[in-house]
Amino acid sequence: MNDQVLTILKGCLLALLYLFLLRVIIVVARELRGTPVAATPAPPPAPARSADTGVRSDPDRAFVLTVREPETRRGEQLVVRGEVTIGRGGGCALALPDDTFASNLHARAFVRDGRLFVEDLGSTNGTMVNNARIETPTRLRKGDRLVVGQTLLEVGK
Amino acid sequence: MSVAASTLERSLVRSRRRAEIGLGLHVLLFVAGAYVLLALAEGPTLPPDLPLFAGFIAGLYVVLHLAIRRFAPLADPTLVPLMAVLNGIGFVTISRIDIARETNFARIQSTWVLVGVAVFVAVLALIREIATLERMQYTIGLAGIAFLLLPLAPPPIGRTINGARIWAKLGPISFQPGEIAKVLLVAFFAAYLVDKRELLTRGSRRVGRLHLPDPKHLGPLLLVWGVSIVVMVAEKDLGSSLLLFSVFATMLYMATNRSSYLLGGFALFGVGAWIAFHTFGHVQTRVDIWIDPWSDPQGKGYQIIQSWFALAAGGLGGSGLGLGAPDKVPYAETDFVFSAIGEELGYLGAVAVIATLLLLVGSALRVAVDSRRPFNRLFTAGLAVILGVQSFIIIGGVIRLIPLTGITLPFVSYGGSSLIANFAIVALLVRASDEAARRRLRA
Repeated sequence: MNDQVLTILKGCLLALLYLFLLRVIIVVARELRGTPVAATPAPPPAPARSADTGVRSDPDRAFVLTVREPETRRGEQLVVRGEVTIGRGGGCALALPDDTFASNLHARAFVRDGRLFVEDLGSTNGTMVNNARIETPTRLRKGDRLVVGQTLLEVGK
Repeated sequence: MSVAASTLERSLVRSRRRAEIGLGLHVLLFVAGAYVLLALAEGPTLPPDLPLFAGFIAGLYVVLHLAIRRFAPLADPTLVPLMAVLNGIGFVTISRIDIARETNFARIQSTWVLVGVAVFVAVLALIREIATLERMQYTIGLAGIAFLLLPLAPPPIGRTINGARIWAKLGPISFQPGEIAKVLLVAFFAAYLVDKRELLTRGSRRVGRLHLPDPKHLGPLLLVWGVSIVVMVAEKDLGSSLLLFSVFATMLYMATNRSSYLLGGFALFGVGAWIAFHTFGHVQTRVDIWIDPWSDPQGKGYQIIQSWFALAAGGLGGSGLGLGAPDKVPYAETDFVFSAIGEELGYLGAVAVIATLLLLVGSALRVAVDSRRPFNRLFTAGLAVILGVQSFIIIGGVIRLIPLTGITLPFVSYGGSSLIANFAIVALLVRASDEAARRRLRA
């Protein structure tokens, strides 16, 4: 067989191998992001624009929570600007009427100093962030996973 | 378990197992591609047994995947694909050497892979909790030492092959008990260190500025030191001896966080090695060849020099599969499999193999970090160190970074005992990572 063709094919094979390693690294990165870190307690309510928070201080910053479970509502998005509530009741910004394990007013998500936090509002089954039940308002970062009842939400940008 | 946790668990199982399938398809594509390229080097036809070959790999991978779904659904998704890709590269390289030498190692290796998969499933099915090993620590420790010393039993059990007495024959089966012993000894050592780590860390006696632990707690450690020297001297197996000792010194360091153990351990090994160097011919030969292979280019230095030529001929991108001459290196299918890969897939292929091994060790260490129970942490870290140090010893030997000591490159080299032991190691890592994830979810 033509040597040049073989050389090109060999290059493809090596590329395939490195692509595999890259994919493994992507999976590992995802795993590491999903690993629970110690929950960061919310900072005390600070003045809206203190000097030390610098450029990151943006009270109008918006975050998106995307539904991952249950399958019937997958992909649905909740935009968090200021403060929103999550629960089974119809009055919540994200209403989960079919989730029998969610409390009526289950949790609230809010933005403070340009950072997203979630707080459990005394729900029966609790709120979890990255596999750990939260007791205090907890900082959410991109890729974190939030569970309310049987509903799983992922933090987007 | 709370409802939230079970929701999270289902989603975690799905995402991890999906990642495993995706990476598995990638492995299949790569290995089948490599097999095709190997045939194309001969002539413009596809290998006639391609469907059989691809079916074999796919079938085995499916078995591994289903076993994990059944017995350890939350396990880390990267362990099995990394193992599979190393195994695949190794298998194609062994087939390649078979073609050149008209030997039949690949066929035998495929049988060993089959047995390895069976052992993997059996380990997952039987060991439902890593703590089982901790409870059986002394049984396991004794079994480990027995396996390690088995080759020294008088013939027909112990046999000397190629100058090393590392084989044992029980009934019709010949195997290297040392491969199994290393896993057992790591389990024993982890359990022992978890029990005694306080005593070993604090130390109860003062000698000058040093706090030394009571000698009776050091007993088992000195026993291991003695055993690894016995392995080096009596079995003439330098590689395994160095491996055992490095793993134990590292585990001792990890358990106690005292670097003096690491330094002391290697100093102790250094003394042993120095005495062995001056007393035993085979140790001296290895070091002499390491320092100057050209002193005997047609004899003792032949192998390493041929390996250099192979790596040099490979260059950056390699000669291409089936287009080099890796059969010129003695033992290219076992100890020198790395130089065969370096010749035909070049520096890029060789680096990819090292990167794969590193990712595997990294995944194993992640399991250790994720685990909560001290025994699980130490045991899985010990397994990670086995894989890493073993790879370092043989690759370092092949490229003459350190004196050559013949051991296998995990998952890549030809050899049943090593392959089966390594499948068992990954099965144990899978078990531990499932346990770690489960504990986290239920915390």
